[in-house]
Amino acid sequence: MVTKAIASYRMKSLDETLSQLSKEDCQLIAGGTDLMVQRKSPRGAPGRFDKPVVFIDHLKELKQIYRVNQDIHIGACCTYSEMMEHHLIPNILKKAMKEIAAPAIRNRGTIGGNICNASPAGDTLPLLYIFNAKIRLRSAKGERAAEIRDFIQGPRKVDRLKDELVTEIILPEVPEVQPYFVFEKVANRRADAITKISFAGSMRWDEGRIQDARLAFGAVGPTIVRAADIEQKLVGQAFPLNDKVIDGIVAEFESLLKPIDDHRSTGVYRKTVALNLLRHFLEVRA
Amino acid sequence: MIKFILNGKEVETVAPATVRLIDLLRDDFQLIGPKEGCGDGECGTCSVLVNQLVQNSCLIPIGAIEGAEIITIDGYCNTEQFQLLSECYSEAGAVQCGYCIPGMIMASEALLSQNPHPTEEEIREGISGNLCRCTGYNMIVDAIDLAAKKGDGLW
Repeated sequence: MVTKAIASYRMKSLDETLSQLSKEDCQLIAGGTDLMVQRKSPRGAPGRFDKPVVFIDHLKELKQIYRVNQDIHIGACCTYSEMMEHHLIPNILKKAMKEIAAPAIRNRGTIGGNICNASPAGDTLPLLYIFNAKIRLRSAKGERAAEIRDFIQGPRKVDRLKDELVTEIILPEVPEVQPYFVFEKVANRRADAITKISFAGSMRWDEGRIQDARLAFGAVGPTIVRAADIEQKLVGQAFPLNDKVIDGIVAEFESLLKPIDDHRSTGVYRKTVALNLLRHFLEVRA
Repeated sequence: MIKFILNGKEVETVAPATVRLIDLLRDDFQLIGPKEGCGDGECGTCSVLVNQLVQNSCLIPIGAIEGAEIITIDGYCNTEQFQLLSECYSEAGAVQCGYCIPGMIMASEALLSQNPHPTEEEIREGISGNLCRCTGYNMIVDAIDLAAKKGDGLW
């Protein structure tokens, strides 16, 4: 077996890990389900990593799930499976996560990894955007939090400094009564396929009026698309929505979404399906 | 030095931490049960159990398995559960070329150990990460269903 010396670290605690990150620029590895594909070498050789690697998926500090008031805190290295089995994770999120990957990947891939990989097709991202998730980061120097829409800046690009580590994902003010919620993932295969287009939507109504509406599209742009101004136009509308309102909302997204052609799909297909999924979601009657 | 438990025995390796578990198992430990199909985590034929959970060994850097318990088909085939699965796969005609089977069996074990009496839908979900290009899956689903029925109390 080829042995190429690249340092690797697997610290006993989060503090030791942060201390290592403050000393040199390292590649963090959580579950590795994306990285090990991106950095794949010929069989038997170490992965193509160009800087020291730091394993973090064993750190207990990054595996907690707990609630503070109405906020749900999820440790960045919780796997999909761990989240799906936890009583504090909202059922609508658990059900949506069943659509992602397959058991073997869900037992390994982490929520923090999916965020930091920042793929336009990242499966948890539309869901986290709908929940207005916050990203909590720590370094040896201190701590900060960022909105997910600010944290993810583009394909493979996140607002994380070299000495920082994502410790938690916070779902703020999760209501007791869960809204109407839809998550659709379109791909070549039900399991284990990279998304061509994904859509997440949530809507709450009371006494025949829409109280809250959130719409998120994945894989139709460099980052997840949400549009607060369009969502706001739904608030206060009579429920069920009439055709005129639905047509208006679909038309707004028609000019907003600009998906690209790539090896997985075409821009035309992505846009057509995205708008169909949106329309289907808005047509809910009860 | 990375130490872990492989099919019930404590083992260690000095291989670099970003080597894939599939390569370590096949090349260094000569455990050629797990196969490499896609190398991308999409086909499942490299599946092994890591602390009782089914995972793709092509996606696991060995640095992450320090202290973990790994079971491959090569170790699992000495169990009563394997014997039954083997009989049921055979009875249902669930094996043709056989390349997917090491992974299918590990996914079957992972499913039945968590859910001894799965519905058809749950079986299909349980093996959804495993591709088979011969059978069309129905015989494999039948085999797992048969094992669940015959193996009442085994899992």
